[in-house]
Amino acid sequence: MIETIGVSKAYGREEYALQDLTLKVEKGEFVFLTGPSGAGKSTLLRLLLLQERPTSGQVVVGDRDLSTLTPNEIQAYRRTVGFVFQDFKLIPTKTVFENVAFVLRVLGQPVEQQRRRTYQVLKWVGLQHRHNAYPLELSGGEQQRVAIARALVNEPHIMLADEPTGNLDPDLSIEIMNLFREINAGGTTVLVATHDRELIKWVGRRVIPLDHGRIPGSSPAPSSMEPLL
Amino acid sequence: MIVFNYAFAEAIASLRRSGRSALISIGTIAIAFITLGGFLLISVNVQDVLDRWLEAAEISVYLQDTAADGDRVAVEQFLRARPEVAAVEFVSKEHALQRFRTDFPELADVTGSLSQNPFPSALEVRLRAGDDSTISAETLAKDVAEKSGVADVQFDRTWLARLLEVVSSARLAGALVAGILMLGAAFTVGAVVRLSLYARRDELEIMALVGAPFSYIRGPFVFEGLLLGGIGAAVALVVVAVLYYFAGQYQPVRFLGYGEMALMLTAGIVVGAVAGTLASRAAHR
Repeated sequence: MIETIGVSKAYGREEYALQDLTLKVEKGEFVFLTGPSGAGKSTLLRLLLLQERPTSGQVVVGDRDLSTLTPNEIQAYRRTVGFVFQDFKLIPTKTVFENVAFVLRVLGQPVEQQRRRTYQVLKWVGLQHRHNAYPLELSGGEQQRVAIARALVNEPHIMLADEPTGNLDPDLSIEIMNLFREINAGGTTVLVATHDRELIKWVGRRVIPLDHGRIPGSSPAPSSMEPLL
Repeated sequence: MIVFNYAFAEAIASLRRSGRSALISIGTIAIAFITLGGFLLISVNVQDVLDRWLEAAEISVYLQDTAADGDRVAVEQFLRARPEVAAVEFVSKEHALQRFRTDFPELADVTGSLSQNPFPSALEVRLRAGDDSTISAETLAKDVAEKSGVADVQFDRTWLARLLEVVSSARLAGALVAGILMLGAAFTVGAVVRLSLYARRDELEIMALVGAPFSYIRGPFVFEGLLLGGIGAAVALVVVAVLYYFAGQYQPVRFLGYGEMALMLTAGIVVGAVAGTLASRAAHR
């Protein structure tokens, strides 16, 4: 379970990215964070990934109050969280395989396990045949699938995605969303920040709208599950 | 063990990538350690010479011609009882004359024309080596001069003590220069490590976000500094060995002992590792 209690994040004196935000995401839920640019979606994800600390309030994940974690505990917590960004954040000098296996390597896992698990997730995202390619040789959709494979390779409990389809065309966006739905079906809690209302409608999950760092009101889950196209 | 392998492999890869900047860093460290090594080389050889001189240094206690045997025995016993004294030898007037004739045969004839033996009998005192004994030897020389039957005392160590002071000052100045150069070398290592840190910032961001342990994040940079320092010191040792080879052709000198070589390598490794560790703090900021 993810819970924020009265969380505010200020940059400067009066510039609030989040203001007194209280929300709850149940374990295994798939939730969209939506809103216009500057609404606070990315800031919330950054707080959940502990890239930043809230100015006030509490962020609780499972039984952990994130504000109390020591640097080593932060690293241990991050091992339970997968992340996907709009700009993919792949290492251009490493191959697809190396980009994914890199996570397991820096977590000190044995080479054989790195190899096995990496091929497994690359197969799952449909990129096992491109394992020797470099990121810049791939299409945007393929790069994002590599990023998803990297986020998944350590079997996270939570998946955070910040505008994961922002650089992709509608077909590829649906492809990526399908992957997130499958990830969620496996029991992983998924939080996707997006302003793509069509996509949200198509996936049909709970939406937490944000505006100027606040929730104007929770929206009910849409009933439609029809594909967009 | 896995983290060491990882850190080492990444450090080697990073040094290869760094190329010229790594070479400059190694060169800077080498210059600092050539200074240290050269200074050590000179220092150990000067110390050897001084030790030999100190070993041979003596106090000559000249006895009055009128001194009774009892006085001589008393002085000899007094000398033997002192801890800084290694040996005492009595040289009679006849023996002194004989020694002079042997040492200076061209003047032997002159001594033959003398009506009486001008050489006094003496007690030649050999002192134990070591810096500390110099001060007590001075006291000894003063003390023995007051004994009955003693005509004069000559103490060889006074000038040696002064020389030791000069050498100690030179040693301190050398250490200071080497220390300043090493500090400069440490800054260079830090700069090179920071450059490679900057080159790998994308990887570091991913590593931090996936929860890599800090040993994995910082380890490669610590190892990089350690390798730069170690290689720099090793290069310096080779250069010092070459200098020694050439110097040895003109003057018999000895090379650094294993202890001094180990000291140089360890200092290089420590300076590099400390600089790498400090620079690597930026890796997870």
